[in-house]
Amino acid sequence: MKAFPIWLILGATLTFLIGPFLIVIFAGLSAGEALAFPPQGLSLKWYAKVFTVESFRASFALSMFLAVFGTLAALILGIPAAYALNRYKLPGAETIRTVVAAPIIVPGIIVGLSLLRYFVVPLNVSILVALFVTHTALVLPYAVRVVSSSLNNLRADMEEAAVILGCTRLQAFIKVVLPNIRGGILAAFILGFVASFNEVPASLFLSGPGVRTLPIDMLSYMEITFDPSVAALSALLAFMSVGIVFLAERLLGFSRYV
Amino acid sequence: MKTFIPFVALSAALAANAAAAEGKLTISVYSFAQDAYKEALYDPFEEICDCELVIETGNSVERMAKIEANAADPVIDMAVISSHDALSLAQKGLLQPIDTSKLSSFDKLYPAAQDPLGDNMGVGYTFYASSIVYREDLVTIDSWGDLLGDDLAGNVSLPNITGTQGPLTLMMLDKAAGGDASDFTGTISDIGAHADDIVTFYSRSSELAQLMNQEEVIAAPVGRFAWSRFKSSPLPFAWAEPKEGQAGGMNVMIMTANNGNEELAYKLMDYWLSTEAQTRIAEALIDSPANMDVTLSDEIAENLTYGADLINSLNILPPSTIIAERDAWVDQWNTEVIR
Amino acid sequence: MFLNRTEGLPLALPAALFTFLVFLVPVGILLSVAFQNVGGGFSLQGYVDFFAQPLNRTVFLRTLKLGVLVAAVSAVIGYAAAFCIVSLPATSRGRVFGLIVLPLMISPVARTYAWIVILGRSGIVNDVIVGLGLSRLPIRFLFTETAVFIGLLQLFLPLMIISLVSAMENVPKDAVPAARVLGANWMQVFFRVILPLTKEGLVVGGTLVFTGALTAYITPAILGGSKVLMLETLLYQKVNVSNDFVSASVIAMILIVMSFSANLLLKRIATAKR
Repeated sequence: MKAFPIWLILGATLTFLIGPFLIVIFAGLSAGEALAFPPQGLSLKWYAKVFTVESFRASFALSMFLAVFGTLAALILGIPAAYALNRYKLPGAETIRTVVAAPIIVPGIIVGLSLLRYFVVPLNVSILVALFVTHTALVLPYAVRVVSSSLNNLRADMEEAAVILGCTRLQAFIKVVLPNIRGGILAAFILGFVASFNEVPASLFLSGPGVRTLPIDMLSYMEITFDPSVAALSALLAFMSVGIVFLAERLLGFSRYV
Repeated sequence: MKTFIPFVALSAALAANAAAAEGKLTISVYSFAQDAYKEALYDPFEEICDCELVIETGNSVERMAKIEANAADPVIDMAVISSHDALSLAQKGLLQPIDTSKLSSFDKLYPAAQDPLGDNMGVGYTFYASSIVYREDLVTIDSWGDLLGDDLAGNVSLPNITGTQGPLTLMMLDKAAGGDASDFTGTISDIGAHADDIVTFYSRSSELAQLMNQEEVIAAPVGRFAWSRFKSSPLPFAWAEPKEGQAGGMNVMIMTANNGNEELAYKLMDYWLSTEAQTRIAEALIDSPANMDVTLSDEIAENLTYGADLINSLNILPPSTIIAERDAWVDQWNTEVIR
Repeated sequence: MFLNRTEGLPLALPAALFTFLVFLVPVGILLSVAFQNVGGGFSLQGYVDFFAQPLNRTVFLRTLKLGVLVAAVSAVIGYAAAFCIVSLPATSRGRVFGLIVLPLMISPVARTYAWIVILGRSGIVNDVIVGLGLSRLPIRFLFTETAVFIGLLQLFLPLMIISLVSAMENVPKDAVPAARVLGANWMQVFFRVILPLTKEGLVVGGTLVFTGALTAYITPAILGGSKVLMLETLLYQKVNVSNDFVSASVIAMILIVMSFSANLLLKRIATAKR
């Protein structure tokens, strides 16, 4: 009696979670003009069309830029912070922790609106900079958390030994700590990349003429037409995210760090 | 070393942005038919002016709100919006008067389009009729009142009150119920009583075209400018000629105050109003011409709002009325219709 | 732990200052807007006005209702699924767990978009309904609370399952069989054994799902439209249609307060019966 209901429950749950997405993949393969499932004939034309839509190309480039450099910036800020929080008894450590974690708690749409009204407009900052700053701030909590947990697993006496043997604190960090938390940093990068690339609510208000992240661009494209190219693009993006995570898992056992 | 990469990349991106700003004109337009517009207007204009157009799209009221929010440092140089949203911006001092001497086709415009807002705050570039588009295989439409009838219950969409088409629909429903367009309170209550029968309140014509092509909706009021999206559909759509007549309106082009890019903006306005561009836009079945010199084949004209007779027959709601009443309508709408 | 205190500050401060300046300060200003009257003094008028409008009250209650409903239903499904997952052999457990996590890597735009294909009038569900003769005409699912509910549930269910699976891994392997042998029925096993041991997972999952449902924008925007407004879509409208920043500020505060209190409340419940 045991095996059957288990797989029934899991099967139903997985169908609900993943089924819709499989439908999107196939809907994108339609040869017809309208979004439909099952597709009216098979063709790759909508997958091809994705690459010809000009705004998709521009917004893809912007999203890539934000995901890569926003996450890098978050790591540059986050790694030293995680290190300090882990290895030093900082005055006000709790406050620092709370402040850095705040972007996770505040709903994205409020973040976007606040930055637009009280950062972009009064300081005359460009939307691009605002997006960069927002994505950095949103990824920072992940960076600090993931790097912290990987620092936790690294015993502090190794650095101590390096210092005693004549290294400066910085050398000890670069030669001993960094190589040992490499995996954690990469995991943080991937997590940040995916979070930033798929981010919608905060980027919603942070868009201007010609400056839009890919998910926002997809939303506005969908307002104009539901042709299967959005399905095709969605499928391609998902393959990209899943591929990156899968590779990371294979190469470094990504899930150990998350 | 690695530290520098993002900052270098970012500043490079910013520098590229700033450099391109020289020959760049930022405009704000409706979101429908952008592919056709690119072909008929944007591409040829970019060729002539040797500049780059940056285009923001959206419905009229959202783009108006954005212009207002950015008033201190205008992002948009030139915009095309509904006449009442334009009037509202003008009253808030966010527009500058248009120097009509810079528009070579100005005298060819229908008189009604030349100074619709007063003080040359806007120039009309297109007229449109508004009526009901419907599935002729499923229903027949004889009156605006049919929108709230039993045949359409659960299959009809109405324009949102905040959009341009919303007040026009109120006016025609009021007329169908025997009103004289002086008070829409009863009409809004009527819509409220039928709220459950209405699939959704759309806010962009492109969104409606989408809903109708997906068969979520089989009838809805819409402006004629959206007709090509319906006409090209495999589904049998028809344009109603209700007994109360068609509603109508005009969209205008405006120049934001202190945008610093007036020269290019005038160039685009001038080009957009030219007989050449207006003809091409009309032949793409997007916007009906405001330029009287545009001559169109019967086949094209039939799909547009073309000719003085038709334009004069439209039921028009004065922009000043809309601005004066809109807040009250929205309040009542939010109380009785959206609930 | 072996280093002196202040030496570390320069390392941690940039991150904290960055978040504080570009993030907390703007958000703080936004939240303060609704507490100011025209003269700049303190006032609650913004809140009074906001809740005086029936539409705003409806949207507030609807958001609360859907958030609770999505969290509750995902807890029920989540327990069933998590129980199944932990009773799988290690190899297939990893694979199934991977499939549960997979949707989280996919853009929410794509995930919500799928429901249009499924729930639309020309969608799969209606094809089946009309094909089986259950209804002559396709049924309207889009732009209803049901559609928003389904979309949100699918979006956030994985978070609940993940939280519950990690909590259940801490339940001793023989606890359930032991309780069964001692004569407990499945209801008793759940309420007496599993629930007390997995409370923390439920709290974490419940908070994540509730706040997620509260602050999702895409799902109500695409599946709810202008008729089924939720706080997020209402906020977007207030800003983009009417430039009403006082209402936007009120909504922002409500969302933040709701997330925080959900967290506190669930924690309180979890620790109550120790």
